[in-house]
Amino acid sequence: MDTLVEWFAAKWAIIDSLSPFLAQGLFVTFKISVIAIILGSLLGFVLGVLKILDRPWLRRFINFYLHILRGSPYLVQLYIIYFVLPSTGIEWLSFDSFTAAIVSLSLYTSGYVTEIVASAILAVPSGQEEAARSVGMTKFQALFKVVIPQAIKLTVPPMASVYVIVIKSTAILSIIGISELTRQGEVAIMRMPGDIMFIYLLIAAFYFAYCYPVLRFSKWAEGRFGSIGNDGH
Amino acid sequence: MDWLLDYYNFRIVGQYWDTFMLGMFTTMWMSGLCLILSFILGIGLALARMSRVGLIWRTAAAYIQFIRSTPLLIQIYLVYYGLPMLIGNFFEERATGIIALTLHTAPYMAEIIRAGIESVGKGQIEGAQSVGMNPTQVFINVTLPQAISNVIPPLLGQTAILIKDTSLLSIIAVFELMGAGLLMFSETVIASESYITTAVCYLAIYVMMLIFSGMVQTKLGGSAWRTN
Repeated sequence: MDTLVEWFAAKWAIIDSLSPFLAQGLFVTFKISVIAIILGSLLGFVLGVLKILDRPWLRRFINFYLHILRGSPYLVQLYIIYFVLPSTGIEWLSFDSFTAAIVSLSLYTSGYVTEIVASAILAVPSGQEEAARSVGMTKFQALFKVVIPQAIKLTVPPMASVYVIVIKSTAILSIIGISELTRQGEVAIMRMPGDIMFIYLLIAAFYFAYCYPVLRFSKWAEGRFGSIGNDGH
Repeated sequence: MDWLLDYYNFRIVGQYWDTFMLGMFTTMWMSGLCLILSFILGIGLALARMSRVGLIWRTAAAYIQFIRSTPLLIQIYLVYYGLPMLIGNFFEERATGIIALTLHTAPYMAEIIRAGIESVGKGQIEGAQSVGMNPTQVFINVTLPQAISNVIPPLLGQTAILIKDTSLLSIIAVFELMGAGLLMFSETVIASESYITTAVCYLAIYVMMLIFSGMVQTKLGGSAWRTN
């Protein structure tokens, strides 16, 4: 019994001394993920709307972009943006690690969001657009005033699960030296190498605390707003 | 062709051709093995998740939620450092990587398979029972085949994610496609050739997957079955 109490006391001491440190990492993870989610969603929204317009060459170009993003691992995309772009010699492409992280994650997010926005717009019944056109709206008015407001609701549940994917992908940024949650944990492990497993579990718990509510929200939103059916994930 | 050498020196890449082919081959067989293992484990997890016994389905649900809410990188580290503590230094990196990826992919497979099982009509199961099959026979001969064929598209999508996820194993020193790119970079210090070649190889695997999934879907349900 005493050994159990001692064990808990020892572990509690670790939690107590590392929590502020990890919380700092979680804040960086939060900051990067939110910026990337916002920028990526904006880009994805624009591309998604462009994709459903009747412009074959535009659609082909966007599909090509999506295939490139979907066909390669995020790790490779990060390496290309962080290591390959500076080697082109163009000055504004020489990102520091933070910018590289934001740019790569935003592009990665936009790949998912484009697909979601396009399929949500297509999921709105075509009678809506026809009715809007018949009261004299132009094609763009019908799209932006009638179809997209209805489509936005449908995007909520799949968007939330994409955000979880993005949040989890930020762990990979520890490789390029961003002091987010995983990196902070690794630094902590250098200080206390004996408790490596416990610290990794602690990091996992921090990620869980951030991701699980978003996942639950996604599930709740699916019951509330309905699903597109084929959310591509 | 010489102008291209300034941007992409294909002659150096030619020297590393064998390395990249070996990396591509390793990525493919490792993800294939993970796919089979996580599929089998996924069926078990799906059944556990659908169990009526509280302890069983709650455990399965907790495991699924834990995996879905934590990054793969952390899970790889947990297996990489945890496995030797639990059972001793028994596995090499590659086996550790396969175990970690299987443990990561199985819950996603389980959720897809569960959706498939729930999509099988009740009449099918009743019909099977009425011809005298026992529950195991019903599951293996009637429910499972229909469940799987109903969820082939998401299963293929998850397989594509699995192939990309193997790239993270390069962090625990497993040699696969990403490892080939990192090896070339560490020996030649030319970023563009190393990493663009890696990306092209992954895209090649992806294109093979696209062609394969097109074939599977046409074979299973005819061209009308394809939704996008």
